[in-house]
Amino acid sequence: MPHEPAHSRTRVLYLPGIGGHPGLSPAMEQVAAAGYEVVVPDLPGFDGRSGFQPPDDHLGWLTATWDAIDEVLGADTAACHVVGASVGGMLAADLAVFRPELVASLTLIDPFGIFSESNPGFDLYAVVSGQRLRHLFAKGVPEVFTTRFDERGPDEARIARYLTEIAMASMLWPLGDRRLADRIHRIRCPRLTLWGELDEVLPLAVARRWSDDHPVVVSGAGHLAEWDAPDEIAGALLAFIGPVVSA
Amino acid sequence: MGAMKLCAFHLMPYPDLPDDFNTKHRSVWVDIDSKLFDPAVVARSYHEYINQLVYADECGFDGICVNEHHSNGYGLMPSPNLIASVLAHRTSQAAIVILGNSVALYDPPVRVAEEMAMLDLLSGGRVVSGFPCGTTMDTAYAYSANPGTLRAKYHEAIELIVKAWTTPEPFSFNGRFTQMRNVNIVPRPLQQPHPPIWIPGGGSVETWDFCADNDYVYAALSYYGHLMARETVDGYWRRLEATGKDDNPYRLAFMQFVGVADTDAEAYRLYKEPAEYFFNRSLHVHSGYTDPPGYVTEASVRARYKSQVRAVARAKQAKHDLNFDEMVEKGYVVIGSPDTVRETLAHIATEMRCGQLLTMLHFGNMRDDVARNNIRLFGDKVAPGLRNIFSDYDNRWWPSNAA
Repeated sequence: MPHEPAHSRTRVLYLPGIGGHPGLSPAMEQVAAAGYEVVVPDLPGFDGRSGFQPPDDHLGWLTATWDAIDEVLGADTAACHVVGASVGGMLAADLAVFRPELVASLTLIDPFGIFSESNPGFDLYAVVSGQRLRHLFAKGVPEVFTTRFDERGPDEARIARYLTEIAMASMLWPLGDRRLADRIHRIRCPRLTLWGELDEVLPLAVARRWSDDHPVVVSGAGHLAEWDAPDEIAGALLAFIGPVVSA
Repeated sequence: MGAMKLCAFHLMPYPDLPDDFNTKHRSVWVDIDSKLFDPAVVARSYHEYINQLVYADECGFDGICVNEHHSNGYGLMPSPNLIASVLAHRTSQAAIVILGNSVALYDPPVRVAEEMAMLDLLSGGRVVSGFPCGTTMDTAYAYSANPGTLRAKYHEAIELIVKAWTTPEPFSFNGRFTQMRNVNIVPRPLQQPHPPIWIPGGGSVETWDFCADNDYVYAALSYYGHLMARETVDGYWRRLEATGKDDNPYRLAFMQFVGVADTDAEAYRLYKEPAEYFFNRSLHVHSGYTDPPGYVTEASVRARYKSQVRAVARAKQAKHDLNFDEMVEKGYVVIGSPDTVRETLAHIATEMRCGQLLTMLHFGNMRDDVARNNIRLFGDKVAPGLRNIFSDYDNRWWPSNAA
């Protein structure tokens, strides 16, 4: 059934993916250009800051995520459109499960959180660090992912990248399954699931466990599909949430 | 006063990996093809290897060592405690130095406290309890432990085990990773307050501090010999000095591959093949299993990038397909006549300030008769000339009832 857009919403809460947050993806820039205020919470470990210690478990990650979301939303706690990619998709889905009052609509792009034994995908952590990024993209690694942190100098940049990897790996280890299959039925808001056709890490077959409807397959895109196919992702997303309507 | 402790360490390797193993298989660890292992060969090997360690006890070694590896082609002891149990029963003098258990892998970790207590009682108080954090291959990959929380879980597990050994009354434990209403292990260890604790490590700053803070022995367990280990060992001693600890050499255990024969030439002939088998085939590990994010802490990463430890890490990566001459030259293996080996090891122990020397006298696909001859020659002709080193120091980290 077509979704009736929540026209009163002007904000998009964006939870980025496993590469961290080197800046808005081209797809999210298009969303911002369409008039939405795109806000990004400062998720733990995503910024390569020194002193990062991973939370003990998934509940710890959710608590830290919700603290970051509360901080970025500030006093405006009206429900907004939530977009989560990859690891951010996993966190966004649980936001919709546990804090539905914050989520007007949910868009998931290649989300972690459900693992398929019959379609395990590529083990990102069975290759050395320098080889991981290229398995996240189908069209080459965007430069911003490799130059991020360079202003800190070579050693500090390398340490920052490592700390970001710690955050992602500790959130997902060993399979990236956080039993979301047992609770996604509790998501009541309208939902759109987008999936990169060429996702090595989470094969397309996993998408079927996320959605009763067929997910939207983004052709030619890898795991971080909003970087590989910005026009397709932004187009589908904007069609789903509708145009901005000022209050 | 103490006398330098000399131990025989055994990895219990599978001896029949095929010649083309490196080209046909990705890794000796984690995803090694189980069809490579002939159960009959494994069964025979267990008995040979256990008999070699029993023989080391008979030859006067101060300790015999076992360790823990999982899904591994060169270490057939996923449970070192099972082998230690046999050794406790069949030997009477040597310390049983157990350089597993990787305590973060066990839930609840009190199981390790219980088994160490059982082994200490079975052996009559001869157990050294080693607590490695565990390699990346064993922990993060073979056992899927989260590398980001592994170290915190490891420290908590040791805290719980020591408390379980030493607290007379039942207690509750409310940890980050383990919560228990009733901790009250039965039986308790024979050694009081508990068996000596050794911490095997590969050079992390946190491990040095952990040993210094808790007065544990640091066991430098690199396979790459004394020359490569110097950076790690020197870092450890500098750290101890910085934290105000004394320089008692018994604070350090170090492992070295050793091959003794009647002559230097004979040693070269005997140990060439098993060394090349071990270093070039048994250590064929997929690089993707060596660096899971979070296993190395931020502090150690900084140390790695900003010190010579980085060079050591690089050197390790460049270990493939060395020939035996290079292995000897680089110090991976110390070989020779009893005089040659004794002089070399005396120099190494003195330079490193190592009071607890762990010798790997069987390695790779070494034949049983060669291993036993190595053990005998070392016990008879090498060990006596080493024992007086560091005799002025007190060894507070040795089992109370071992020889």
